[in-house]
Amino acid sequence: MDFLAEGFRRALALLLAGDAEVLGIALLTLKIAVVATIVACGIGLPLGYLLATRRFWGRRAALTAVNTALAFPTVVVGLLLYGLLSRRGPLGGLGWLYTWQAIVIGDVLLALPIAAALSAAAVQGVDPRIRRTAETLGAGRWLTAWTVCREARFALAAVITAAFGQVVAEIGAAMMLGGNIRGSTRTLTTAVALYTSQGDFGLAVALGLLLIAIALIVNVTLQVLQGKGGG
Amino acid sequence: MVELRGVRHRYDGRLVLNLDHFVVPAGAMLAVVGHNGSGKSTLLRLLALLEAPTEGSVLWDGAPVPRSAPTALRRRITLVEQRPVLLRGTVLENIGFGLRVRGISRADAYKRTAEVADQLGLLSLLERRRTELSDGEVQRVAVARALAVRPDVLLLDEPASSADRAAAAAMYRALATERKARPFTICIASHQLEDAYRWADDIRALAEGRLSPVTPENLFRVELAPAGTDTMSARVGAIEILVTTERAGPAVLAVPPGDIFVSREPLASSARNVLRGRVTRVAAHRPGGGIAVTADVGIELVAIVTAEAVRELALAPDAPVVFSFKASAVQVF
Repeated sequence: MDFLAEGFRRALALLLAGDAEVLGIALLTLKIAVVATIVACGIGLPLGYLLATRRFWGRRAALTAVNTALAFPTVVVGLLLYGLLSRRGPLGGLGWLYTWQAIVIGDVLLALPIAAALSAAAVQGVDPRIRRTAETLGAGRWLTAWTVCREARFALAAVITAAFGQVVAEIGAAMMLGGNIRGSTRTLTTAVALYTSQGDFGLAVALGLLLIAIALIVNVTLQVLQGKGGG
Repeated sequence: MVELRGVRHRYDGRLVLNLDHFVVPAGAMLAVVGHNGSGKSTLLRLLALLEAPTEGSVLWDGAPVPRSAPTALRRRITLVEQRPVLLRGTVLENIGFGLRVRGISRADAYKRTAEVADQLGLLSLLERRRTELSDGEVQRVAVARALAVRPDVLLLDEPASSADRAAAAAMYRALATERKARPFTICIASHQLEDAYRWADDIRALAEGRLSPVTPENLFRVELAPAGTDTMSARVGAIEILVTTERAGPAVLAVPPGDIFVSREPLASSARNVLRGRVTRVAAHRPGGGIAVTADVGIELVAIVTAEAVRELALAPDAPVVFSFKASAVQVF
Protein backbone atom coordinates (compact mmCIF):
# COMPACT_ATOMS: atom_id res chain seq x y z
CA MET A 1 0.00 0.00 0.00
CA ASP A 2 3.03 2.27 0.15
CA PHE A 3 2.65 3.24 -3.45
CA LEU A 4 -0.89 4.52 -2.73
CA ALA A 5 0.28 6.73 0.15
CA GLU A 6 3.14 7.90 -2.01
CA GLY A 7 0.65 8.71 -4.72
CA PHE A 8 -1.44 10.89 -2.41
CA ARG A 9 1.68 12.69 -1.15
CA ARG A 10 2.74 13.36 -4.72
CA ALA A 11 -0.71 14.51 -5.64
CA LEU A 12 -0.89 16.97 -2.78
CA ALA A 13 2.53 18.38 -3.61
CA LEU A 14 1.61 18.82 -7.29
CA LEU A 15 -1.69 20.47 -6.50
CA LEU A 16 -0.22 22.79 -3.91
CA ALA A 17 2.64 23.76 -6.23
CA GLY A 18 0.13 24.63 -8.95
CA ASP A 19 1.84 22.54 -11.62
CA ALA A 20 1.27 24.19 -15.00
CA GLU A 21 0.65 20.97 -16.89
CA VAL A 22 -1.82 19.66 -14.34
CA LEU A 23 -3.61 23.00 -14.34
CA GLY A 24 -3.76 22.99 -18.13
CA ILE A 25 -5.24 19.51 -18.22
CA ALA A 26 -7.79 20.42 -15.57
CA LEU A 27 -8.87 23.60 -17.36
CA LEU A 28 -9.21 21.80 -20.69
CA THR A 29 -11.29 19.09 -19.04
CA LEU A 30 -13.53 21.71 -17.47
CA LYS A 31 -13.85 23.60 -20.76
CA ILE A 32 -14.83 20.47 -22.69
CA ALA A 33 -17.27 19.33 -20.00
CA VAL A 34 -18.95 22.72 -19.65
CA VAL A 35 -19.30 23.30 -23.41
CA ALA A 36 -20.55 19.75 -24.01
CA THR A 37 -23.02 19.98 -21.10
CA ILE A 38 -24.37 23.31 -22.34
CA VAL A 39 -24.80 22.04 -25.89
CA ALA A 40 -26.23 18.67 -24.82
CA CYS A 41 -28.68 20.25 -22.35
CA GLY A 42 -29.45 23.10 -24.75
CA ILE A 43 -30.75 20.52 -27.22
CA GLY A 44 -31.72 17.72 -24.82
CA LEU A 45 -33.90 19.65 -22.36
CA PRO A 46 -36.22 21.17 -25.00
CA LEU A 47 -36.29 17.78 -26.73
CA GLY A 48 -37.24 16.10 -23.46
CA TYR A 49 -39.96 18.71 -22.87
CA LEU A 50 -41.41 18.10 -26.33
CA LEU A 51 -41.30 14.33 -25.86
CA ALA A 52 -43.11 14.71 -22.55
CA THR A 53 -45.76 17.21 -23.57
CA ARG A 54 -46.54 16.86 -27.27
CA ARG A 55 -48.51 14.04 -28.79
CA PHE A 56 -47.19 13.31 -32.25
CA TRP A 57 -46.78 10.34 -34.52
CA GLY A 58 -43.68 8.34 -33.58
CA ARG A 59 -43.42 9.82 -30.11
CA ARG A 60 -43.24 6.44 -28.42
CA ALA A 61 -40.56 5.28 -30.86
CA ALA A 62 -38.57 8.48 -30.20
CA LEU A 63 -38.78 7.90 -26.43
CA THR A 64 -37.61 4.32 -26.87
CA ALA A 65 -34.73 5.47 -29.07
CA VAL A 66 -33.63 8.07 -26.54
CA ASN A 67 -33.84 5.58 -23.68
CA THR A 68 -31.86 3.01 -25.65
CA ALA A 69 -29.21 5.60 -26.45
CA LEU A 70 -28.67 6.00 -22.70
CA ALA A 71 -26.78 2.73 -22.75
CA PHE A 72 -24.70 3.53 -25.83
CA PRO A 73 -21.07 2.42 -25.25
CA THR A 74 -18.76 5.43 -25.32
CA VAL A 75 -16.15 3.69 -27.47
CA VAL A 76 -18.77 2.96 -30.12
CA VAL A 77 -19.69 6.65 -30.25
CA GLY A 78 -15.96 7.39 -30.44
CA LEU A 79 -15.53 4.90 -33.24
CA LEU A 80 -18.44 6.24 -35.28
CA LEU A 81 -17.28 9.83 -34.94
CA TYR A 82 -13.71 8.78 -35.70
CA GLY A 83 -14.95 7.34 -38.97
CA LEU A 84 -16.83 10.56 -39.76
CA LEU A 85 -14.04 12.94 -38.79
CA SER A 86 -11.01 11.02 -40.07
CA ARG A 87 -9.29 12.40 -43.15
CA ARG A 88 -11.12 9.98 -45.45
CA GLY A 89 -14.46 10.38 -43.64
CA PRO A 90 -17.35 12.60 -44.84
CA LEU A 91 -16.47 15.29 -42.29
CA GLY A 92 -12.71 14.91 -42.68
CA GLY A 93 -12.48 18.28 -44.38
CA LEU A 94 -13.23 20.01 -41.09
CA GLY A 95 -9.90 18.86 -39.71
CA TRP A 96 -11.44 18.38 -36.27
CA LEU A 97 -10.02 14.93 -35.47
CA TYR A 98 -7.65 15.10 -32.51
CA THR A 99 -8.94 18.52 -31.43
CA TRP A 100 -10.89 19.40 -28.29
CA GLN A 101 -13.91 20.18 -30.48
CA ALA A 102 -14.00 16.52 -31.57
CA ILE A 103 -14.14 15.46 -27.91
CA VAL A 104 -17.00 17.94 -27.36
CA ILE A 105 -18.95 16.42 -30.25
CA GLY A 106 -18.46 12.93 -28.84
CA ASP A 107 -19.45 14.07 -25.36
CA VAL A 108 -22.54 15.86 -26.67
CA LEU A 109 -23.68 12.69 -28.42
CA LEU A 110 -23.21 10.76 -25.20
CA ALA A 111 -24.88 13.33 -22.92
CA LEU A 112 -27.77 14.18 -25.23
CA PRO A 113 -29.77 11.00 -24.54
CA ILE A 114 -29.27 11.54 -20.82
CA ALA A 115 -30.49 15.12 -21.05
CA ALA A 116 -33.47 14.22 -23.26
CA ALA A 117 -34.61 11.02 -21.52
CA LEU A 118 -34.24 12.29 -17.95
CA SER A 119 -35.80 15.69 -18.67
CA ALA A 120 -38.73 13.99 -20.41
CA ALA A 121 -39.21 11.94 -17.24
CA ALA A 122 -38.84 15.06 -15.09
CA VAL A 123 -41.47 16.99 -17.08
CA GLN A 124 -43.82 13.99 -17.13
CA GLY A 125 -43.57 13.99 -13.36
CA VAL A 126 -45.05 17.50 -13.14
CA ASP A 127 -48.75 17.62 -12.24
CA PRO A 128 -50.58 18.06 -15.59
CA ARG A 129 -52.79 20.67 -13.96
CA ILE A 130 -49.79 23.03 -13.81
CA ARG A 131 -49.55 23.13 -17.57
CA ARG A 132 -53.31 23.48 -18.01
CA THR A 133 -53.34 26.29 -15.42
CA ALA A 134 -50.63 28.25 -17.21
CA GLU A 135 -52.41 27.75 -20.53
CA THR A 136 -55.87 28.67 -19.31
CA LEU A 137 -54.48 31.82 -17.69
CA GLY A 138 -53.23 32.84 -21.12
CA ALA A 139 -49.56 31.84 -21.14
CA GLY A 140 -48.15 31.19 -24.62
CA ARG A 141 -46.03 28.20 -25.53
CA TRP A 142 -42.77 29.51 -24.04
CA LEU A 143 -44.23 30.81 -20.81
CA THR A 144 -46.13 27.58 -20.32
CA ALA A 145 -42.91 25.62 -20.80
CA TRP A 146 -41.13 27.93 -18.38
CA THR A 147 -43.88 27.51 -15.77
CA VAL A 148 -43.80 23.72 -16.07
CA CYS A 149 -39.98 23.62 -15.90
CA ARG A 150 -40.00 25.80 -12.80
CA GLU A 151 -42.06 23.10 -11.10
CA ALA A 152 -39.57 20.45 -12.22
CA ARG A 153 -36.50 22.52 -11.39
CA PHE A 154 -35.00 20.02 -8.91
CA ALA A 155 -35.31 17.13 -11.32
CA LEU A 156 -34.02 19.26 -14.19
CA ALA A 157 -31.01 20.37 -12.14
CA ALA A 158 -30.32 16.69 -11.50
CA VAL A 159 -30.49 16.13 -15.27
CA ILE A 160 -27.81 18.78 -15.82
CA THR A 161 -25.69 17.25 -13.06
CA ALA A 162 -26.02 13.81 -14.61
CA ALA A 163 -25.10 15.12 -18.07
CA PHE A 164 -22.06 16.90 -16.64
CA GLY A 165 -21.10 13.79 -14.73
CA GLN A 166 -21.23 11.76 -17.93
CA VAL A 167 -18.99 14.10 -19.94
CA VAL A 168 -16.48 14.94 -17.23
CA ALA A 169 -15.81 11.27 -16.46
CA GLU A 170 -15.94 10.00 -20.05
CA ILE A 171 -12.76 8.45 -21.46
CA GLY A 172 -13.56 6.31 -24.53
CA ALA A 173 -14.56 9.09 -26.92
CA ALA A 174 -11.96 11.47 -25.44
CA MET A 175 -9.22 8.95 -26.13
CA MET A 176 -10.31 8.05 -29.66
CA LEU A 177 -11.31 11.52 -30.87
CA GLY A 178 -8.83 13.64 -28.92
CA GLY A 179 -5.87 11.30 -29.14
CA ASN A 180 -4.55 12.30 -25.70
CA ILE A 181 -2.13 14.82 -27.19
CA ARG A 182 -0.06 16.55 -24.53
CA GLY A 183 -0.87 20.22 -24.23
CA SER A 184 -3.73 20.02 -26.69
CA THR A 185 -6.30 17.27 -26.11
CA ARG A 186 -5.13 15.59 -22.94
CA THR A 187 -8.00 15.52 -20.45
CA LEU A 188 -8.00 14.37 -16.84
CA THR A 189 -9.41 10.95 -17.68
CA THR A 190 -7.05 10.23 -20.58
CA ALA A 191 -4.11 11.54 -18.55
CA VAL A 192 -4.99 9.29 -15.60
CA ALA A 193 -5.07 6.29 -17.93
CA LEU A 194 -1.77 7.28 -19.54
CA TYR A 195 0.16 7.99 -16.32
CA THR A 196 -1.15 4.83 -14.69
CA SER A 197 0.08 2.76 -17.63
CA GLN A 198 3.42 4.58 -17.46
CA GLY A 199 3.69 3.75 -13.74
CA ASP A 200 3.56 7.40 -12.68
CA PHE A 201 1.03 6.60 -10.02
CA GLY A 202 1.36 9.82 -8.04
CA LEU A 203 0.47 12.00 -10.99
CA ALA A 204 -2.43 9.70 -11.89
CA VAL A 205 -3.83 9.94 -8.37
CA ALA A 206 -3.37 13.71 -8.34
CA LEU A 207 -5.35 14.06 -11.54
CA GLY A 208 -7.98 11.62 -10.27
CA LEU A 209 -8.42 13.73 -7.15
CA LEU A 210 -8.77 16.84 -9.28
CA LEU A 211 -11.47 15.14 -11.32
CA ILE A 212 -13.39 14.29 -8.17
CA ALA A 213 -12.93 17.84 -6.89
CA ILE A 214 -14.35 19.32 -10.11
CA ALA A 215 -17.36 16.99 -9.99
CA LEU A 216 -17.90 17.90 -6.33
CA ILE A 217 -17.70 21.64 -6.93
CA VAL A 218 -20.15 21.51 -9.82
CA ASN A 219 -22.60 19.41 -7.82
CA VAL A 220 -22.42 21.65 -4.78
CA THR A 221 -22.87 24.75 -6.94
CA LEU A 222 -25.98 23.28 -8.56
CA GLN A 223 -27.36 22.29 -5.19
CA VAL A 224 -26.85 25.78 -3.82
CA LEU A 225 -28.62 27.21 -6.86
CA GLN A 226 -31.51 24.77 -6.36
CA GLY A 227 -31.81 25.71 -2.72
CA LYS A 228 -32.61 29.34 -3.57
CA GLY A 229 -36.32 30.09 -3.49
CA GLY A 230 -38.83 27.84 -1.77
CA GLY A 231 -42.15 26.39 -2.99
CA MET B 1 -70.17 31.85 -28.40
CA VAL B 2 -68.37 28.55 -27.74
CA GLU B 3 -69.85 25.55 -29.41
CA LEU B 4 -69.10 21.85 -29.74
CA ARG B 5 -70.25 20.00 -32.84
CA GLY B 6 -70.26 16.25 -33.33
CA VAL B 7 -67.79 15.81 -30.49
CA ARG B 8 -66.66 12.32 -29.50
CA HIS B 9 -63.80 12.47 -27.03
CA ARG B 10 -61.87 9.40 -25.98
CA TYR B 11 -59.23 8.66 -23.39
CA ASP B 12 -57.24 5.52 -24.22
CA GLY B 13 -60.01 4.45 -26.58
CA ARG B 14 -62.78 4.88 -23.98
CA LEU B 15 -65.56 7.24 -25.05
CA VAL B 16 -65.97 9.84 -22.30
CA LEU B 17 -67.90 12.52 -24.13
CA ASN B 18 -70.44 12.16 -26.89
CA LEU B 19 -72.18 15.42 -27.77
CA ASP B 20 -73.82 16.16 -31.08
CA HIS B 21 -74.25 19.80 -30.30
CA PHE B 22 -73.45 21.85 -27.22
CA VAL B 23 -73.58 25.63 -27.15
CA VAL B 24 -72.52 28.07 -24.47
CA PRO B 25 -74.39 31.21 -25.53
CA ALA B 26 -72.79 34.62 -24.98
CA GLY B 27 -73.72 36.15 -21.64
CA ALA B 28 -75.31 32.95 -20.33
CA MET B 29 -75.22 31.63 -16.81
CA LEU B 30 -75.08 27.98 -17.67
CA ALA B 31 -74.93 25.06 -15.29
CA VAL B 32 -73.93 21.56 -16.31
CA VAL B 33 -75.07 19.05 -13.74
CA GLY B 34 -74.20 15.43 -13.49
CA HIS B 35 -72.68 12.85 -11.24
CA ASN B 36 -68.95 12.41 -10.82
CA GLY B 37 -67.58 10.77 -13.93
CA SER B 38 -70.40 12.01 -16.17
CA GLY B 39 -67.93 13.89 -18.37
CA LYS B 40 -68.34 17.40 -16.92
CA SER B 41 -64.64 18.06 -16.40
CA THR B 42 -63.76 16.77 -19.87
CA LEU B 43 -66.47 18.98 -21.36
CA LEU B 44 -65.03 22.04 -19.61
CA ARG B 45 -61.49 21.24 -20.76
CA LEU B 46 -62.70 21.06 -24.34
CA LEU B 47 -64.64 24.32 -23.97
CA ALA B 48 -61.54 25.92 -22.44
CA LEU B 49 -59.61 24.95 -25.59
CA LEU B 50 -57.09 23.07 -23.47
CA GLU B 51 -57.74 19.82 -25.30
CA ALA B 52 -58.93 19.15 -28.81
CA PRO B 53 -61.72 16.60 -29.22
CA THR B 54 -60.76 13.21 -30.65
CA GLU B 55 -63.56 13.71 -33.19
CA GLY B 56 -65.68 16.71 -34.04
CA SER B 57 -64.99 20.39 -33.78
CA VAL B 58 -65.02 23.32 -31.41
CA LEU B 59 -66.35 26.60 -32.75
CA TRP B 60 -65.85 30.08 -31.42
CA ASP B 61 -68.39 32.63 -32.69
CA GLY B 62 -69.21 30.17 -35.43
CA ALA B 63 -65.63 29.75 -36.68
CA PRO B 64 -63.81 26.44 -36.17
CA VAL B 65 -60.97 26.55 -33.65
CA PRO B 66 -57.71 24.93 -34.86
CA ARG B 67 -56.63 21.80 -32.96
CA SER B 68 -53.89 23.81 -31.33
CA ALA B 69 -55.89 26.84 -30.23
CA PRO B 70 -54.18 30.21 -30.74
CA THR B 71 -53.11 31.89 -27.50
CA ALA B 72 -55.16 35.00 -28.31
CA LEU B 73 -58.33 32.89 -28.39
CA ARG B 74 -57.43 30.88 -25.29
CA ARG B 75 -57.03 34.16 -23.41
CA ARG B 76 -60.75 34.85 -23.79
CA ILE B 77 -61.81 31.77 -21.85
CA THR B 78 -60.55 30.64 -18.46
CA LEU B 79 -61.10 27.41 -16.56
CA VAL B 80 -60.98 26.88 -12.81
CA GLU B 81 -60.41 23.18 -12.28
CA GLN B 82 -62.23 21.06 -9.73
CA ARG B 83 -59.11 20.65 -7.63
CA PRO B 84 -57.07 23.63 -8.73
CA VAL B 85 -53.34 23.90 -8.16
CA LEU B 86 -51.41 27.05 -7.47
CA LEU B 87 -48.24 27.84 -9.38
CA ARG B 88 -44.95 28.31 -7.59
CA GLY B 89 -44.85 31.63 -5.79
CA THR B 90 -47.13 33.66 -3.57
CA VAL B 91 -50.90 34.11 -3.78
CA LEU B 92 -50.19 37.61 -5.12
CA GLU B 93 -48.02 36.19 -7.91
CA ASN B 94 -50.63 33.55 -8.68
CA ILE B 95 -53.49 36.02 -9.03
CA GLY B 96 -51.25 38.30 -11.09
CA PHE B 97 -49.96 35.51 -13.36
CA GLY B 98 -52.56 35.89 -16.11
CA LEU B 99 -52.19 39.66 -16.06
CA ARG B 100 -48.40 39.52 -16.30
CA VAL B 101 -48.46 37.09 -19.24
CA ARG B 102 -50.72 39.58 -21.00
CA GLY B 103 -48.01 42.18 -20.62
CA ILE B 104 -49.96 44.27 -18.11
CA SER B 105 -47.67 46.54 -16.07
CA ARG B 106 -46.73 45.49 -12.57
CA ALA B 107 -48.63 48.45 -11.06
CA ASP B 108 -51.84 47.79 -12.99
CA ALA B 109 -51.58 44.07 -12.29
CA TYR B 110 -51.22 44.77 -8.58
CA LYS B 111 -54.26 47.03 -8.60
CA ARG B 112 -56.42 44.40 -10.30
CA THR B 113 -55.01 41.64 -8.07
CA ALA B 114 -55.90 43.58 -4.94
CA GLU B 115 -59.39 44.22 -6.30
CA VAL B 116 -60.25 40.56 -6.90
CA ALA B 117 -58.42 39.45 -3.76
CA ASP B 118 -60.65 41.83 -1.82
CA GLN B 119 -63.80 40.46 -3.47
CA LEU B 120 -62.85 36.94 -2.48
CA GLY B 121 -61.59 37.77 1.00
CA LEU B 122 -57.97 36.94 0.18
CA LEU B 123 -56.26 40.22 1.07
CA SER B 124 -54.67 38.79 4.20
CA LEU B 125 -53.26 35.80 2.30
CA LEU B 126 -51.46 37.62 -0.52
CA GLU B 127 -47.96 36.79 0.70
CA ARG B 128 -48.69 33.12 1.46
CA ARG B 129 -47.40 30.25 -0.63
CA ARG B 130 -49.40 27.24 -1.74
CA THR B 131 -48.15 25.05 1.08
CA GLU B 132 -49.57 27.50 3.60
CA LEU B 133 -53.17 27.42 2.35
CA SER B 134 -56.18 25.19 2.96
CA ASP B 135 -57.99 23.51 0.06
CA GLY B 136 -60.81 26.03 0.28
CA GLU B 137 -58.35 28.93 0.18
CA VAL B 138 -56.58 27.44 -2.83
CA GLN B 139 -59.94 27.22 -4.59
CA ARG B 140 -60.71 30.87 -3.85
CA VAL B 141 -57.27 31.93 -5.10
CA ALA B 142 -57.92 29.94 -8.27
CA VAL B 143 -61.25 31.73 -8.80
CA ALA B 144 -59.60 35.10 -8.11
CA ARG B 145 -56.80 34.24 -10.53
CA ALA B 146 -59.32 33.44 -13.25
CA LEU B 147 -61.50 36.50 -12.58
CA ALA B 148 -58.45 38.79 -12.60
CA VAL B 149 -57.93 38.35 -16.34
CA ARG B 150 -61.52 39.37 -17.12
CA PRO B 151 -62.33 36.45 -19.41
CA ASP B 152 -65.25 36.52 -21.83
CA VAL B 153 -66.14 33.03 -20.65
CA LEU B 154 -65.41 31.71 -17.16
CA LEU B 155 -65.65 27.96 -16.67
CA LEU B 156 -65.91 26.68 -13.11
CA ASP B 157 -65.59 23.00 -12.31
CA GLU B 158 -67.28 22.21 -8.98
CA PRO B 159 -66.34 25.64 -7.62
CA ALA B 160 -67.81 25.02 -4.19
CA SER B 161 -66.46 21.53 -3.64
CA SER B 162 -63.71 22.41 -1.15
CA ALA B 163 -65.26 25.57 0.19
CA ASP B 164 -67.41 25.86 3.29
CA ARG B 165 -70.81 27.49 2.85
CA ALA B 166 -69.62 30.98 3.79
CA ALA B 167 -66.69 30.78 1.39
CA ALA B 168 -68.93 29.49 -1.37
CA ALA B 169 -71.37 32.35 -0.75
CA ALA B 170 -68.46 34.84 -0.88
CA MET B 171 -67.36 33.34 -4.17
CA TYR B 172 -70.83 33.56 -5.70
CA ARG B 173 -71.11 37.16 -4.46
CA ALA B 174 -67.80 38.01 -6.12
CA LEU B 175 -69.01 36.48 -9.38
CA ALA B 176 -72.23 38.49 -9.18
CA THR B 177 -70.33 41.72 -8.46
CA GLU B 178 -68.03 41.08 -11.37
CA ARG B 179 -70.93 40.31 -13.69
CA LYS B 180 -72.66 43.51 -12.71
CA ALA B 181 -69.57 45.51 -13.66
CA ARG B 182 -69.01 43.61 -16.88
CA PRO B 183 -71.31 41.06 -18.48
CA PHE B 184 -69.57 37.79 -19.24
CA THR B 185 -70.48 34.17 -19.69
CA ILE B 186 -70.23 31.70 -16.83
CA CYS B 187 -70.50 27.96 -17.12
CA ILE B 188 -70.51 25.97 -13.88
CA ALA B 189 -70.18 22.22 -13.69
CA SER B 190 -71.58 20.80 -10.51
CA HIS B 191 -72.96 17.65 -9.02
CA GLN B 192 -74.81 19.77 -6.48
CA LEU B 193 -78.16 20.71 -7.93
CA GLU B 194 -78.44 23.48 -5.41
CA ASP B 195 -75.54 25.32 -7.06
CA ALA B 196 -77.23 25.03 -10.39
CA TYR B 197 -80.64 26.15 -9.15
CA ARG B 198 -79.19 29.15 -7.39
CA TRP B 199 -77.22 30.40 -10.30
CA ALA B 200 -78.05 29.23 -13.68
CA ASP B 201 -80.50 30.59 -16.17
CA ASP B 202 -79.90 27.49 -18.25
CA ILE B 203 -79.31 24.02 -16.83
CA ARG B 204 -78.10 21.00 -18.78
CA ALA B 205 -77.72 17.53 -17.39
CA LEU B 206 -74.87 15.28 -18.42
CA ALA B 207 -74.90 11.53 -17.90
CA GLU B 208 -72.33 9.04 -19.18
CA GLY B 209 -70.85 11.69 -21.43
CA ARG B 210 -74.15 12.51 -23.13
CA LEU B 211 -76.65 15.30 -22.68
CA SER B 212 -79.44 13.79 -20.65
CA PRO B 213 -82.97 14.51 -21.87
CA VAL B 214 -84.18 14.28 -18.26
CA THR B 215 -84.09 17.69 -16.67
CA PRO B 216 -82.61 17.84 -13.20
CA GLU B 217 -85.09 16.65 -10.66
CA ASN B 218 -88.22 18.70 -10.01
CA LEU B 219 -87.01 21.90 -11.59
CA PHE B 220 -89.60 24.15 -13.21
CA ARG B 221 -89.54 27.49 -14.92
CA VAL B 222 -92.71 29.35 -13.80
CA GLU B 223 -94.58 32.63 -13.44
CA LEU B 224 -95.38 33.38 -9.81
CA ALA B 225 -98.77 34.97 -9.14
CA PRO B 226 -100.20 36.04 -5.74
CA ALA B 227 -102.33 33.31 -4.17
CA GLY B 228 -102.75 34.35 -0.54
CA THR B 229 -101.30 36.59 2.12
CA ASP B 230 -97.92 34.95 2.16
CA THR B 231 -98.06 32.51 -0.70
CA MET B 232 -97.62 32.63 -4.42
CA SER B 233 -99.00 30.21 -6.89
CA ALA B 234 -97.27 28.84 -9.93
CA ARG B 235 -98.87 26.96 -12.76
CA VAL B 236 -96.78 24.02 -13.90
CA GLY B 237 -98.38 22.12 -16.74
CA ALA B 238 -101.80 21.01 -15.58
CA ILE B 239 -101.28 21.65 -11.87
CA GLU B 240 -100.72 24.51 -9.49
CA ILE B 241 -97.95 24.65 -6.90
CA LEU B 242 -98.19 26.90 -3.85
CA VAL B 243 -94.98 28.54 -2.74
CA THR B 244 -94.04 30.64 0.28
CA THR B 245 -92.15 33.54 -1.20
CA GLU B 246 -92.34 37.27 -1.70
CA ARG B 247 -91.10 36.96 -5.23
CA ALA B 248 -93.46 37.46 -8.15
CA GLY B 249 -93.07 37.09 -11.88
CA PRO B 250 -90.71 34.70 -13.65
CA ALA B 251 -88.77 32.32 -11.43
CA VAL B 252 -87.33 28.85 -11.25
CA LEU B 253 -88.90 26.49 -8.71
CA ALA B 254 -87.20 23.47 -7.25
CA VAL B 255 -89.06 20.93 -5.20
CA PRO B 256 -86.40 19.08 -3.17
CA PRO B 257 -87.06 15.37 -3.73
CA GLY B 258 -86.30 14.62 -0.07
CA ASP B 259 -88.99 17.04 1.13
CA ILE B 260 -91.87 15.24 -0.55
CA PHE B 261 -94.08 13.01 1.63
CA VAL B 262 -95.21 9.94 -0.21
CA SER B 263 -98.44 8.17 0.81
CA ARG B 264 -101.22 6.05 -0.67
CA GLU B 265 -104.01 8.35 0.60
CA PRO B 266 -104.04 12.13 1.21
CA LEU B 267 -102.69 12.91 4.70
CA ALA B 268 -104.20 15.35 7.12
CA SER B 269 -101.19 17.66 7.37
CA SER B 270 -99.96 21.19 6.99
CA ALA B 271 -98.70 20.46 3.49
CA ARG B 272 -100.36 22.89 1.10
CA ASN B 273 -99.41 20.96 -2.00
CA VAL B 274 -101.17 17.61 -2.18
CA LEU B 275 -100.95 15.95 -5.57
CA ARG B 276 -102.54 12.64 -6.59
CA GLY B 277 -101.12 10.52 -9.34
CA ARG B 278 -99.59 7.23 -10.33
CA VAL B 279 -96.10 5.90 -9.90
CA THR B 280 -94.20 5.78 -13.19
CA ARG B 281 -90.80 4.60 -12.08
CA VAL B 282 -89.01 3.29 -8.98
CA ALA B 283 -85.23 3.37 -9.17
CA ALA B 284 -82.20 3.39 -6.90
CA HIS B 285 -81.11 6.97 -6.42
CA ARG B 286 -77.35 7.29 -6.64
CA PRO B 287 -76.09 10.28 -4.67
CA GLY B 288 -76.73 9.84 -0.96
CA GLY B 289 -78.69 6.60 -1.26
CA GLY B 290 -82.47 6.15 -1.06
CA ILE B 291 -84.95 5.20 -3.74
CA ALA B 292 -86.19 7.65 -6.34
CA VAL B 293 -89.92 7.31 -6.88
CA THR B 294 -91.14 9.13 -9.97
CA ALA B 295 -94.85 9.79 -10.29
CA ASP B 296 -97.08 11.46 -12.78
CA VAL B 297 -99.14 13.85 -10.65
CA GLY B 298 -100.09 16.06 -13.56
CA ILE B 299 -96.42 16.77 -13.96
CA GLU B 300 -93.55 14.38 -13.40
CA LEU B 301 -92.13 14.69 -9.89
CA VAL B 302 -89.41 12.71 -8.17
CA ALA B 303 -89.44 11.91 -4.45
CA ILE B 304 -86.63 10.24 -2.53
CA VAL B 305 -87.78 7.71 0.05
CA THR B 306 -86.28 4.80 1.95
CA ALA B 307 -86.37 1.23 0.71
CA GLU B 308 -88.64 0.35 3.69
CA ALA B 309 -91.16 3.00 2.64
CA VAL B 310 -91.18 1.58 -0.90
CA ARG B 311 -91.98 -1.88 0.55
CA GLU B 312 -94.58 -0.73 3.09
CA LEU B 313 -96.45 1.45 0.62
CA ALA B 314 -96.03 -1.14 -2.15
CA LEU B 315 -94.74 1.53 -4.48
CA ALA B 316 -94.48 0.07 -7.93
CA PRO B 317 -95.19 1.39 -11.41
CA ASP B 318 -98.86 2.23 -11.88
CA ALA B 319 -99.64 2.19 -8.14
CA PRO B 320 -101.77 5.14 -7.01
CA VAL B 321 -99.81 7.59 -4.92
CA VAL B 322 -100.08 10.98 -3.23
CA PHE B 323 -97.18 13.44 -3.14
CA SER B 324 -97.42 16.16 -0.45
CA PHE B 325 -95.04 18.97 0.30
CA LYS B 326 -95.19 22.24 2.18
CA ALA B 327 -95.34 25.54 0.34
CA SER B 328 -92.28 26.57 2.34
CA ALA B 329 -90.29 23.55 1.16
CA VAL B 330 -90.31 24.79 -2.41
CA GLN B 331 -87.14 26.64 -3.31
CA VAL B 332 -87.39 29.70 -5.51
CA PHE B 333 -84.49 30.89 -7.62
